[in-house]
Amino acid sequence: MHTAALRVPFSKVMPTHDQYIMPNGMVVLGQPMEAVQTAAFVFMLPAGSSRMPEGTCGAANVIADWLFRGAGDMDSRQLCDALDGLGLQRYTAVDHTHLTIGATMEASHLHQALGLYGEVISRPWLDPEQFELARQLAIDEVKALDDDPQEKVLLELKERFYPYPLGRHPVGRIDQLQSLQAQHVASLLGQHIRPSRAIFGVAGMYDFGQVCDQLEALFGQDSTAGPEPIRPGPVGPRYTHIPLESAQVHIGLMTPTVGPADPDYYHARVTVSILSGGMSSRLFVQVREKRGLCYAVNARYHCLKEAAGIICYAGTTPPHAQQTLQIIIDQFRGLSQGLTDSELDRAKAGLKSGLILSSESSTRRAAAICTDYHLLGRVRDLDQIKAAIDAVTIEGIQDFLARHPFDDFTVVTIGPNPVELPWDHGIQAA
Amino acid sequence: MEFKRHKLDNGLQIVAELNPSAKSAAVGLFIKTGARDEPDRYSGISHFLEHMIFKGTERLDAIAVNEAFDRTGAHFNAFTTEENTVYYAAVLPEYLEQVTALWIELMRPALRSGDLELERQVILQEIAMYKDQPDRQVLEQCRSLHYDGHPCGKIVIGTDKTVSSLTADQIRSYLQQRYVPNNMIVAFAGNLDWDRCCGLVEASCSQWQSADTDRQVGHFAGTMKSQWEDRDGLSCEHICLMHQAVSAQDQRRFMAALLASIVGDDTGSRYYWHLVDNATALSATMQYWPMDGTGALCSYLSCRKGMARKVLEVTEGIFEDLYTKGIGQQELERAKNKIISALVIRDEVPMGRLIDIAMNWLYLGQYRTIEQEVRDLRSVTVEDINRLIKELDLRRFTSYVLRPANGKGN
Repeated sequence: MHTAALRVPFSKVMPTHDQYIMPNGMVVLGQPMEAVQTAAFVFMLPAGSSRMPEGTCGAANVIADWLFRGAGDMDSRQLCDALDGLGLQRYTAVDHTHLTIGATMEASHLHQALGLYGEVISRPWLDPEQFELARQLAIDEVKALDDDPQEKVLLELKERFYPYPLGRHPVGRIDQLQSLQAQHVASLLGQHIRPSRAIFGVAGMYDFGQVCDQLEALFGQDSTAGPEPIRPGPVGPRYTHIPLESAQVHIGLMTPTVGPADPDYYHARVTVSILSGGMSSRLFVQVREKRGLCYAVNARYHCLKEAAGIICYAGTTPPHAQQTLQIIIDQFRGLSQGLTDSELDRAKAGLKSGLILSSESSTRRAAAICTDYHLLGRVRDLDQIKAAIDAVTIEGIQDFLARHPFDDFTVVTIGPNPVELPWDHGIQAA
Repeated sequence: MEFKRHKLDNGLQIVAELNPSAKSAAVGLFIKTGARDEPDRYSGISHFLEHMIFKGTERLDAIAVNEAFDRTGAHFNAFTTEENTVYYAAVLPEYLEQVTALWIELMRPALRSGDLELERQVILQEIAMYKDQPDRQVLEQCRSLHYDGHPCGKIVIGTDKTVSSLTADQIRSYLQQRYVPNNMIVAFAGNLDWDRCCGLVEASCSQWQSADTDRQVGHFAGTMKSQWEDRDGLSCEHICLMHQAVSAQDQRRFMAALLASIVGDDTGSRYYWHLVDNATALSATMQYWPMDGTGALCSYLSCRKGMARKVLEVTEGIFEDLYTKGIGQQELERAKNKIISALVIRDEVPMGRLIDIAMNWLYLGQYRTIEQEVRDLRSVTVEDINRLIKELDLRRFTSYVLRPANGKGN
């Protein structure tokens, strides 16, 4: 833990990471890493797709682009040149909850980079002409998604699976993007791009005291009331087929499970690893290795703060789509049967090793501590996670699956023809 | 960081960079064989063999192989390119030797007929999957057009026809010709015990027999042809451009990498300001592809329907401007900072470092530190790049456009 040059008080002192809550509420987290020369930071800003008002789907994506089109005393080009001049590897992502912006760099550039991001967040130009360009690119991005059915099917699936608007499409809807007005989006940006409600994380080589001082100077004046709580509505249709003359049928399937704060969380994670962790996991073996039905088949845990699920993708040619879906469903439903110590051990080994390998990257570490804080209100320690994974037993998984069975599915397919849902003969595609 | 190397009598080379402070280690088997080494009728055989390696040996079946890897928690996989086949694993240090031993054992696969038929179906599914990825399709089509008749234009995955007809005997024969010790290296990076790793490879591989391997190497400037294809079911227009460039062995590779960044990095490049910033194109990037004896600059651009001609017109203007006026000092400095920073970030993780160490050894027979790479990048001047632009004549390139068929796009 870095304590050098500490000039701001900590609200908490943590054993394995740095943490400071600014008086205005901005959360500042740090994860020191040995033997690295780089630093990575992210700002998680509460401006994800579900946070935008009805009728503005895609606004978050426009904001993500518009923010960087001039800030402070720099026009778009000067700002970009300044960021590139520091050699920043930049990162911008819009998900359901947040607009996340960040960068990884040689550690000596951290101070200057934070200064530039301070301008972007606090003093964006928001030029109306530049808005039109940002909006056009967002519309083009929606169209481009039509040429990427593998990605599209999962976004459409999440929108239908989560109680609306929690999983609202993060790329956008063309009709809603077309009706956006610059002034309206500027006001949304003013409401949601608020440092006082942001979670900031830095990882790698940094001086936490200096980082906190700088963030106080940049953002300490910002204050705003908490966000309006989202009142989730109903979930979407159980099955949607989107016609496309594609070579494969792209199948997306999702089933609910426990959230990240649930005592059963690690049961869910290990169970998903048994289902689809490594190449010896059940889905890979049954769908690909034994039957040759797919090249790509996988399932993973996906969560928001409010809800969670297991999300599965498979791509196969039309004659094999029905059989593939059936086998996947069978694997989900039959998970508690035939569990062995060796597959449990492999599932645990994969999860634990993944933790260590990803902890070597400052970029991934910075993102991970922010996500933890958002979901749990604290940063999890790697040793605690390892211990929790180790504590999972076969009996524990069986008990978990008895209480939280995987038998309620939302399905989206993209391809030439719809599939028939194995549990619901006769129901037509929505 | 400490570098180690050892060459077995049969020609197998072992290289390692030791980083005791790393939390993980990485191992890779790099075989100098890929699509460019395949006879036409066997197109896709390198990639098919790569898949079959995972199906096991006389001792281990496919399920046992997968379980053996998964017991270690390794992040492991393989990939086949136009000129190399690579098997790799990133793993906690205590499992490195176990995973290395497994990869070595797998290099002598059983190639059972039942496995072959099953895996053929998986590869046909993989081909179908790529058909739904127009960004990938346009790159493959452009590459074939650019290298028309040259081995570098071959498609890694093959075709439905060739993959459907490949036999176990053909794959075995290819393996015996190409997976020979003098045509491969074993590389390590990260936290590892060199004596034990090297000893393990020597004990397991010293009986392997070497054989003559060859590869047709020579610079190829490209056909500079242009082709448009209308395809049903597409929403956007996808464009690939290919320019000739210097080879992986050429000292000017640093200039080519910087030039590609200046022209087509995803932020702040010529493409960015002339095409993406003003929403003419959705994406526009250029990458430098160093290859054995030759090289290419490959651009991928995508735009909404009806914009491809405009996008091509703008790129032509960019190349003409670069040819007549050259680049500026500031844009070169920014490109250097971006490339160096990406290099340092990538190489901080053993798996990233492994690839760089192995590629330098494969192509140059040299160990190069990150500092040496940074120094060579820093030493490139504006004049160097401007000379390269003239030599490559950026105004001449091959182009392939994949666009929605009339009335069928969204």
